[in-house]
Amino acid sequence: MDESLTNLPTSHFVGSVPAVVSEEKKATNNEVPGANLQIFPPNNAGSGGQYQPIGSTSDGGGQPATNNWTGLFSISSYTQYFNVDTDIVLNRLISSLYPTTGDFVNKIDANPDLYGLVWISTTLVFAIASLGNCATYLMNRRSDHSTSWTFDVNYLNVAAGTIYGYALIVPLGYYFVLQYLGSSVSLIRFWCLWGYSLFIFILTSFLLVIPVEFLRWTIILIAGAASASFIGLNLRSYIQSNDLTILAISAFVLQMGLSIFIKMWFFA
Amino acid sequence: MSNSDTVPLHPSSQSDIDEIENLINSYPSSVLPARPPSPPRIPVSAAPPPPPSFIPSNLPPPSLHKTTPVFSPAPSVPPAPVPPVPPPRGSTTASSSIAGSGFGPAPNTLTEPVWDTIKRDLLRIVSNLKLVVFPNPFREDPGKALRDWDLWGPFFFIVFLGLVLSWSASVKKSEVFAVAFALLAAGAVILTLNVLLLGGQIIFFQSLSLLGYCLFPLDIGALICMLVGNVIVKLVVVAVTLAWSSWAAYPFMSTAVNPRRKALALYPVLLMYVSVGFLVIAID
Repeated sequence: MDESLTNLPTSHFVGSVPAVVSEEKKATNNEVPGANLQIFPPNNAGSGGQYQPIGSTSDGGGQPATNNWTGLFSISSYTQYFNVDTDIVLNRLISSLYPTTGDFVNKIDANPDLYGLVWISTTLVFAIASLGNCATYLMNRRSDHSTSWTFDVNYLNVAAGTIYGYALIVPLGYYFVLQYLGSSVSLIRFWCLWGYSLFIFILTSFLLVIPVEFLRWTIILIAGAASASFIGLNLRSYIQSNDLTILAISAFVLQMGLSIFIKMWFFA
Repeated sequence: MSNSDTVPLHPSSQSDIDEIENLINSYPSSVLPARPPSPPRIPVSAAPPPPPSFIPSNLPPPSLHKTTPVFSPAPSVPPAPVPPVPPPRGSTTASSSIAGSGFGPAPNTLTEPVWDTIKRDLLRIVSNLKLVVFPNPFREDPGKALRDWDLWGPFFFIVFLGLVLSWSASVKKSEVFAVAFALLAAGAVILTLNVLLLGGQIIFFQSLSLLGYCLFPLDIGALICMLVGNVIVKLVVVAVTLAWSSWAAYPFMSTAVNPRRKALALYPVLLMYVSVGFLVIAID
């Protein structure tokens, strides 16, 4: 019905505005080339029961894709970064554990997602805050058998600040540096890369509860090295320019620094 | 249809959709525009006869016997613009028991006693709780179950959980409350945004309401843990209530997104409830 109304000859009316065509909505969905788009029409999300649908265009779905700052505030302009399925996310998580192959950036090139960044960092915050409390309690019990369990809520604050700050600001910094140096890089892919690189720390924080100091240091150094080499190799294969290897090395060092900080503050 | 599952606690407190449906289904001829006010109201229309004290001023009594000759062609009169008086009359006759006079349902909730308002909200909280948290035949159809959502219930449950955690903490009580409240409130908003970003179809406030109501088992668990000191008992209680909360939230969240992304939408819910459960155990 809408298409027939837009074709009415109205331009001869005084003060009339040409009708806005509704193709812009499809334009925002088609931005990611070559991605395995699952565009299902808005009223078709899953089989069976749904909530009363909002109305498919209520989220500002008619926004043109360029230079419209109101797109910052509508959800539909961000759904392209969350266009992943469960099996894709699991695949990316597993491949983030292999430190030596630098092909993660090729995997995410077509369809980078921010789901990994958000939820891996949130899980990590919770994991190191809670397990850090457990580990500190166990360590104190070894040296002094009468300590009682106290839960330090401050661990949550420090963990949230550190992890979210690191995961958001470090890729931003590298993005700006590389833009300044001339190569065009994509910030979303950096965020995706750093987000998935934090996954290994979730697994190691479970192992760090073991109250043997030597074992803890070994575990954190191995995990830190694996994560840092993951970052370094992928960054180098993404930049593809040999005189910027210094950046890959600095990313390696930063990731090692994060892992040592986690060990020393939360699992002392 | 919808009256069978949600109790109309008070006729004017139905959700908007139910109210419109009632108006259409119950009072068809008074809603459809029909006739000049004077003749057809009494015998022809199926609307209930108006209370005698509400005869409006534009209906002069002598016109009653004057218009009886024109009474028979009245049904064939083409639809005229709806006179403003009959339709609100139709809806207030059912609900005028409390407020008394007035056109339209608005004065009813303004002039009723405060205890009636509070009681109505409390009953709504209880009925929503029964629909969400306890087993009932409507769980498989989320659209029907939480139609009459509200935010009072979630507010009470979140504040109660924060208070219980704060009471059970021995140090830094205000920090504990702040962390618990921020975690739950921000968590509900972020979980809803997560479903929307994954391409799901939910209504924002309905989802906030649902996540708040699903905290009720954890409230009970936190209360029990505050009164019991043993760690093992606490672990068991928290595990049971955590499973109950997750079971309550599962059907709503999983039907809101594409089935291939179900786990992506459910994992953050599980994460939030596990973190709250950990807070409940760990605070002493």
